Amino acid sequence: MNNILEIFELNHSFDKEVYVLDNINLSVKSGEILSILGPSGCGKTTLLRIIAGLEKQTNGIIKINNKIVSDQSCFIPPEKRNLGLIVQERSLFPHLTNYENILFGIKDLDDKNEIARDYLELFKIDHLKDKYPHEISGGEQQRIALARSLAPSPALLLMDEPFNALDEKLKIEMYAEIKKIFKEKKLTVLIVSHDRDEAAFLSDKLITIEDGSIKEMLDTN
Amino acid sequence: MLKFQAINFWGSITYLILALFVLPVIIIISSLFGEWSENWSHIYNFVLFDYVSNSILLVMGVTVVVFIIGVGTAWIITNYKFFGKNVLEWALILPLSVPPYILAYTFTGLFDTYGTANNLLRDLFNLQSDYAFFPNIRNIYGAIIVFSFTLYPYVYLVSRSAFLNQSQAMIEAARLLGLNKIQVFFKLAVPIIRPAIIGGIMLVSMETLSDFGAVDHFAIQTFTTGIFRTWYGMYDINTAMQLASMLLLFVGLFLILERYSRNNAIYTSKSSTFRPIKLTKLQGHQGGLAFLICFLPVFIGFILPILELSFWAFERNLNFFDYKFLITTQNTIILAITAGILCSIFALLVNYSIRFNKDNFSRHAGSLLSLGYAVPGLILAVGIVQLFTWLDATVFVTSEIVLTGSLIGLIFAYIIKSYALANSSIESGYERISSSIDDSARVLKSTGFDMLKRIHFPLLKTSFLTSTLLVISEVTKELPATLILRPFNFDTLAVSTYIYAAEERMMQASAPAIAIVMVGLIPIIILTKMIRTSRPGKRDYE
Repeated sequence: MNNILEIFELNHSFDKEVYVLDNINLSVKSGEILSILGPSGCGKTTLLRIIAGLEKQTNGIIKINNKIVSDQSCFIPPEKRNLGLIVQERSLFPHLTNYENILFGIKDLDDKNEIARDYLELFKIDHLKDKYPHEISGGEQQRIALARSLAPSPALLLMDEPFNALDEKLKIEMYAEIKKIFKEKKLTVLIVSHDRDEAAFLSDKLITIEDGSIKEMLDTN
Repeated sequence: MLKFQAINFWGSITYLILALFVLPVIIIISSLFGEWSENWSHIYNFVLFDYVSNSILLVMGVTVVVFIIGVGTAWIITNYKFFGKNVLEWALILPLSVPPYILAYTFTGLFDTYGTANNLLRDLFNLQSDYAFFPNIRNIYGAIIVFSFTLYPYVYLVSRSAFLNQSQAMIEAARLLGLNKIQVFFKLAVPIIRPAIIGGIMLVSMETLSDFGAVDHFAIQTFTTGIFRTWYGMYDINTAMQLASMLLLFVGLFLILERYSRNNAIYTSKSSTFRPIKLTKLQGHQGGLAFLICFLPVFIGFILPILELSFWAFERNLNFFDYKFLITTQNTIILAITAGILCSIFALLVNYSIRFNKDNFSRHAGSLLSLGYAVPGLILAVGIVQLFTWLDATVFVTSEIVLTGSLIGLIFAYIIKSYALANSSIESGYERISSSIDDSARVLKSTGFDMLKRIHFPLLKTSFLTSTLLVISEVTKELPATLILRPFNFDTLAVSTYIYAAEERMMQASAPAIAIVMVGLIPIIILTKMIRTSRPGKRDYE
């Protein structure tokens, strides 16, 4: 299986003095689910933002689909990296209906509605399509956010503490359902989390970051 | 290539607008390095001292009065419960809708020897026809009263907001340490909110120095009347610009003080220790006194001019909606809406560019744009006329006059003058949009104009509308820049009021004046709504 994401010798500092990420090397294969674990402030969210192109690393190389997207001489902006992003606060566009949210990132004009409908069906949220994000529950919002991120067929899905705002019961329900969808669709996913159980359940591989460096790499299978 | 162009556009838009905004001011200041004519010697020898001393006296007098009214009423409203308090709380802002020049016109109409008030009292007491109850108000003291009663809401608003953020715990501690209620006010409450008060007073000072209509009506020699007379009386624009530069120095000083006070205006109690002020109920003569103190500024600054204007309108049998009034109103509406929309678009573009670029230089450049409110309209007008004359002579050489005397200059002046209002509304709207929304949009391949059109603008619709309304209200009131920059035979409500008042045709002035005050109520309504939704120690959007 080819690598979807590769990171070589990545360092990052906000003030050019203290490095929040230090010599990060990792790769994610196609169809693989990788979790990055670590305590608050260890740099895992920064790493995710760098991969997404929302921050620029101080040093190092990032490749997506064997193409350099960021190094010292090149920087491809987030909108051109073909990624999906789910953050804790979900960030659904409040002025759009749930259906319009899902349609937002789809560029294929002909099949746009068909694609959106497929995802509504996949996440069992068809009945919510005409509602606005503020009219639905946290779990439902998470499904819409997932559908919105997956609808443009990203090469890699990035998730930053995606289930943090949900209650325990809902979380456990969603883990199984989400993992099943990820595997069925053969999605490549990178999850940032501080919950070891969540990471172990969802992912094939698990990386632990402490003080900006990779401390541990485990194969959960 | 596309990416390069996009980044370049959003990176440069703030600087481009800033360059446009500062050009007229640079032109004015550059006059200091040019030739000094004989007219300047005349002004220097005979009238400059009057300009400076009158301006200083005016500012000092207004400062004292607005401090007393603004801080005093804010303290009473914040700390006491009495009859009428709920109405007076917002009614105290109403005088903001009356521009100083309209209060000046109504005051002369009321208190001149043959004015409404004197006539009424003479009829009542059957006195001789030349007997005057009220002293002449067409002097600097009258001007101090006029400015104070129209501008005190600036101080009232900041003081009230600062007092609301003071904790009951602090006041109780002071009482236990032996301070009585009056000592708490003078030794604790006021010193703590001093930066806020200074900020408000500086705004009032800048407005006072910038005014033209009221001082012109009272025939007081100040910088603004001096600039106007030098230009239109002596036909010496260079000397007018040199005078304008000096006024700009004064205004700059007040602006620095205002910014400095704002930076130091930390008067919010920490939420963990904050306890709202406990209201003391006032009854009997104490309640009556509190009511009177708070009612008087509203009466003088709002009710009295409205009564007088309505009386004039009634005298004219309400027959003032003639063709001229309708044309003037139409001109004003077209100008105000155009300036309002353009100004809001500029503010939207600049704020989006700052958010998109996330660099400190754009942020600083963006905040510099807001300083346009401090530049007196008259100075802006002089600078713009010079700029457009130069552009017509050098760039548009083929045609005779393209820019000079066109509406473009007027709208340009309005935008510079009102940008701060538009910006405050758009900026606070942007603060409510989480940056993670932008991140999600960018990852979903939406950026630049696409993000602005599909995400930000729909989310900022209310802010955009508020911003446009605020600018419309400001533009409707604006007089000095309009007077100078308007095309030939193009009158607005403010110009029409000025011309009628200058010709002592007060009754005809009532129609446009009432219309101006009505439009001026728009920001008051918005402001009242904002105050109602805000809570002490908490921002309105939380």
